[in-house]
Amino acid sequence: MANFQHPFLCLRPVKRAPGASEVLVASAGPYLYVYDTANGERLDAWPSTNLDSTKASASGAAELLSDNGPPEKRRKLSDDANVDTQVDQEEKAQKKQSGSTDDKLQWSEIPIVTITSDGQYVVAVTLEDKTLRVFELSHGGKLQESKPRVMPKRLAAVTFTPDEQTLLCGDKHGDVYSMPLIPGDYIKSRIDETRKSLAATELTVHSGRNLRSLEQQKLQKDNPLKGGAPSQEERNVLNFEHRSILGHVSVLTDLISVAVSGRNYILTADRDEHIRVSRGYPQAHVIEQFCLGHKSFVSKIVAPAWAPELLVSGGGDGQLFLWDWRKGQVLQTVSLREALGAEVTVRGIWDISVEGLNFIIVGLEGSPKLLCYSIVDNQLKTENTTTQLSGNLLDVAVSDALNSVIISVDTIREVGSTSQWKATADLPQRLLEAFKVTRGDDGLEFVPAEDSIISSVNSLGTSALPQGLNDKQRRAIDDLHYTMINLKKLKATEDKNE
Amino acid sequence: MVSQPAPKRQKREEYRRKIHEQHEAADGAKAEVQLPQKRFFRQRAHANPFSDHQLDYPLTPAHMDWSSHYPAFVDPDTSKTTLSGGRKLVKDVEVVDIGCGFGGLLVGLAPLLPDTLMVGMEIRVSVLEFVTSRIKALRLRQQYLKNTSSQDPAPASEPANSPQNGSEAPEDEVGTTTSVVPGNYENISGIRANTMKFLPNFFERHQLSKIFICFPDPHFKARKHKARIVSEYLNAEYAYVLRPGGLLYTITDVEEYHHWILKHFHVSGNEGEDDEEVPSIKDLWERVSEEEVSADPCAQVMACETEESKKVTRNNGNKYVAVFRRKADPEWPA
Repeated sequence: MANFQHPFLCLRPVKRAPGASEVLVASAGPYLYVYDTANGERLDAWPSTNLDSTKASASGAAELLSDNGPPEKRRKLSDDANVDTQVDQEEKAQKKQSGSTDDKLQWSEIPIVTITSDGQYVVAVTLEDKTLRVFELSHGGKLQESKPRVMPKRLAAVTFTPDEQTLLCGDKHGDVYSMPLIPGDYIKSRIDETRKSLAATELTVHSGRNLRSLEQQKLQKDNPLKGGAPSQEERNVLNFEHRSILGHVSVLTDLISVAVSGRNYILTADRDEHIRVSRGYPQAHVIEQFCLGHKSFVSKIVAPAWAPELLVSGGGDGQLFLWDWRKGQVLQTVSLREALGAEVTVRGIWDISVEGLNFIIVGLEGSPKLLCYSIVDNQLKTENTTTQLSGNLLDVAVSDALNSVIISVDTIREVGSTSQWKATADLPQRLLEAFKVTRGDDGLEFVPAEDSIISSVNSLGTSALPQGLNDKQRRAIDDLHYTMINLKKLKATEDKNE
Repeated sequence: MVSQPAPKRQKREEYRRKIHEQHEAADGAKAEVQLPQKRFFRQRAHANPFSDHQLDYPLTPAHMDWSSHYPAFVDPDTSKTTLSGGRKLVKDVEVVDIGCGFGGLLVGLAPLLPDTLMVGMEIRVSVLEFVTSRIKALRLRQQYLKNTSSQDPAPASEPANSPQNGSEAPEDEVGTTTSVVPGNYENISGIRANTMKFLPNFFERHQLSKIFICFPDPHFKARKHKARIVSEYLNAEYAYVLRPGGLLYTITDVEEYHHWILKHFHVSGNEGEDDEEVPSIKDLWERVSEEEVSADPCAQVMACETEESKKVTRNNGNKYVAVFRRKADPEWPA
């Protein structure tokens, strides 16, 4: 019985400088792959590993998954070096010698991949270790990683400023940071070591219990034996150049950078139904507008490259919104439920330009439907709701070299479900599907393209999931591939004394 | 936890029901209504601003129905409605007290700015219930006083805000006045809200002229600092709802928090800390001079007349006031 393979979570075709052919960068499981779209060959995989023996490649993921509970958090304290056991150090030494990375990987998925428009740099985020990684993509399609940066929280979205010299990163706690694309030398600024006095005093604390605990805190402070541990503030200082530029008191869900009429903007979306329009860095503290109207979380916002003055947004309320975002004005809402009937959540929105056609593709969480809209006179026009994929849609991209829309599909679960696993893996696994798009009488037509290059990628496959996963392990993998459910708000009964 | 409802809770519920019934029954003209007592509405001082409380908030400011909050200011033209179908007001809400607590500041400010609509926002349910009940009682009392004073002018001659003689009013209660005050408390109201998340749902860009942040929860622990109501991020939102020239007032009895506030408005005076090259939130704010603050009657009410500030005075605590003026937005970079 064939193992299930990791589906592609991110597809990023890379247009490159003249002379270099287009490549496709894709993430599946803990790996990043680079394919040549001229012949379907795999040019590189990161982290480097002997991918031909699927055993080795799967072991990282297998070990991560076999842990009871969530994968171990990577500790950031510098003290850790001293805590490391002899065994660990030996292992590290071995690893250095052999150059292989079949020791335990610290992450199970790469949920974010983004590419500079010149195709020189690939930015990827590894999930559990919350690490932002920038790779240089060589002429031959090899990935060369520069110094990784460990973020304080998991990242929700990464984009570039319009000049692509600066990265903008939004994390799940609502903070947005800017940092140089290429990390330079950086000396961590030390917090003033003069121990700060306690903020609370007898004048601000009155109840008997609070006064007693204040007394305890003072004793603790005066005790010279205690005080070696770095303070909270100390630990929060990141070990690389960065600047916090804006923030939401919410879970950030998306972040884009848009330039219109010579002005740069940052648009952010959150779990509390907000879309915020701020000025671009370095004036991100000036909020220009809010786009309010969604009745549930906003999961995705897109300002189409061919109409950046407009914004398409979707989320948990089954409504697609079209905005004049600089005015915070709704131009139109389109009900996705009407097209589908059930409760739907927008997984992704993609602005597509292929063969002279401009349109929007909307993908729903756990659905094989391909919804298409064109924008005519500031209105969304439904173009196609009939095309079905062989599995749930995961990511969409356009390959200029192939003149096709490439879509990654879920090969693990039954069509239309986010949790029901197939009894056995399909053979061969159709990780990618390609379509040629033409304009027909009734809107856009998607013609499946039986492309040898796509078949080549599919037959090369990705790393395999371990066999014999129990239900709990399967749920854990479902949560990695389908994250929207976590953004829903529970209708809890309110405790008045909370 | 005890399985039976605690007698305390029972007593509270009974008391609140009684007060509510009394207010509903009163038509204002006949009898003097009782003001609610705080001790039946107290609630733990902290609320988690990050959790999903069951909150009511409008989809957009244009959906907000203020008519039940300010019945005296409802536009007589019934054809004018909000996007949610409610009646419109003749003017917009302009002053917000973020974390209004028991509403002392609102009651103190109401006669000072009788034609300005002011709202207190509070995340704690019971406390907000008290504010609502208190304002209701004050309005009813004003109606009663207006009616009686037209026959007997004696009560009106008493100075405003004089404490009621003897009876149940605690020493630091404000607004227990026995005279008719300008505005008759029709211009103040309270709303339950988590402003850290939903301020832009209530107010349009540049709608407000004043924001008050009085004795905010200090969140002493460093890991709780993110829950503080003043931060660079939130200051950007305050700048969004506040019009250029508008004022943001802060007062705290915690010195460290005062410095936190100055730091997060980038006016700490430690110029070395700030990279002069990079634009920051300080483009949007300037600190108002001490002379100007001491001449501002609103600042005086904030510093001396609210319950919390009286409590601090009683405990010989310090008070740290900082007022910031919203500057015009900076020029777009060329």
